[in-house]
Amino acid sequence: MQKTNIRRLTSLGLLSALAYLLMLLNFPVPPFPSFLMIDFSDIPALIAAIVFGPLAGVTVEFFKVGLDFLITGSDTGIPIGHIANFAAGVTFILPVYYIYKKFESKKGLTAGLVTGTVLMAVLMSVLNYYVILPAYTLFLNMPAMSAPETRQMVVLSILPFNLLKGILMAAVFLFIYSRMHVWLRRQAAAHRS
Amino acid sequence: MMEKMIFGRYLPLESPIHQLDPRAKLLFTFGFVVVVFLANNVVTYATLAAFTLMLVYLSKINLRFLLSGLRPVIWLIAFTFLLHIFLTREGDVLVKVGFLEIYEGGLRQGVFISLRFLLLILVTSLLTLTTSPISITDGLETLLQPFKKLKLPVHELALMMSISLRFIPTLMDETDKIIKAQAARGADFSSGPIKERVKAVVPLLIPLFVSAFKRAEELAIAMEARGYRGGEGRTKYRLLHWRWKDTVAVCLLLLLAVVLWRLRS
Repeated sequence: MQKTNIRRLTSLGLLSALAYLLMLLNFPVPPFPSFLMIDFSDIPALIAAIVFGPLAGVTVEFFKVGLDFLITGSDTGIPIGHIANFAAGVTFILPVYYIYKKFESKKGLTAGLVTGTVLMAVLMSVLNYYVILPAYTLFLNMPAMSAPETRQMVVLSILPFNLLKGILMAAVFLFIYSRMHVWLRRQAAAHRS
Repeated sequence: MMEKMIFGRYLPLESPIHQLDPRAKLLFTFGFVVVVFLANNVVTYATLAAFTLMLVYLSKINLRFLLSGLRPVIWLIAFTFLLHIFLTREGDVLVKVGFLEIYEGGLRQGVFISLRFLLLILVTSLLTLTTSPISITDGLETLLQPFKKLKLPVHELALMMSISLRFIPTLMDETDKIIKAQAARGADFSSGPIKERVKAVVPLLIPLFVSAFKRAEELAIAMEARGYRGGEGRTKYRLLHWRWKDTVAVCLLLLLAVVLWRLRS
């Protein structure tokens, strides 16, 4: 990044701020435990990825959790929840971006969103099973949950939750895309030139 | 509600801790997170607790206020405490009520782990309570300078972070305005089934994105017009000063680490 693109820089700053705000407007979904909240903060990151490339999307995800950590702090002192949120965001936007880039159409986007949702849900389940839930138990020094208990938790709440979150985000993004695709493409073209 | 979010948790007071350099506070907090794990017996935990209380006292932040901010985690701490009390079976039996037996080891473990957790949260909250997000960003930018060698664009990242922080309140006002405008047209954001809520979000997000991009464009033009050319040779408006107090703070942490190392069993 020797020659900095100022417009990219300022846009990513603003999109990160927007992602952070959208993260504050989160809401729980009744059947799931309260630490699983749905928000639309991955959408600015997705737009950043489509307009400025995949690294930009990852940057927005990173700042979103970074801002939240700076401003609100972490419930556990060490930001496990923030890291989990970042991982979920990145595993969602990257597949969507790469598949969308191949087709650049609404169909390609739909395929991308479906793949992204499934990949995110599966990877987050694996990550929860092996890393995140053990990290919570390790950090709190709780007697570790037994493997079947963890598996049950992952299968019954984390997997369906992430699927639902992905589907909702996909639905909102498709709505937004169908109204903004011309504008988005112009933005991307302006950036490339 | 909006005001509370804008300022985050930063409390602008005049205290020795507020006046410390953000770099010193960042180093101190990271160090403390490691040092906490040195404690393993009554004396060391008492030292740690006393040290933390001294920090809270120096920061002039009301302890009750600080603890009220911990309300969401209190149940988590209580839960770990109870788990240890009932499930750790070491040492002598202290109390026996029916089938419940409380062991000495369980009580000790429960108290220690909950205390460690509490102290960690108190110290990390002190960092965010006594340092504004913008100075934390400045501090991080200087602390991360060495990573420039690894091609990490430290300056650009810090600048993006500052831009985000600067525009959070602006975008928040904008969100508020759009929510009101859409509500005046009959939109309902706060109730109804999920499907309706999702649909209601779209007319909120589109204007927000468009305005974010417009602002970004204006800001880029303004920066270009003022001759922004990246971080090389750029001077700063907010300068960081490392004073003797900051050295003292870092030394104090080292001292604490040495004392704990000596006292731990």
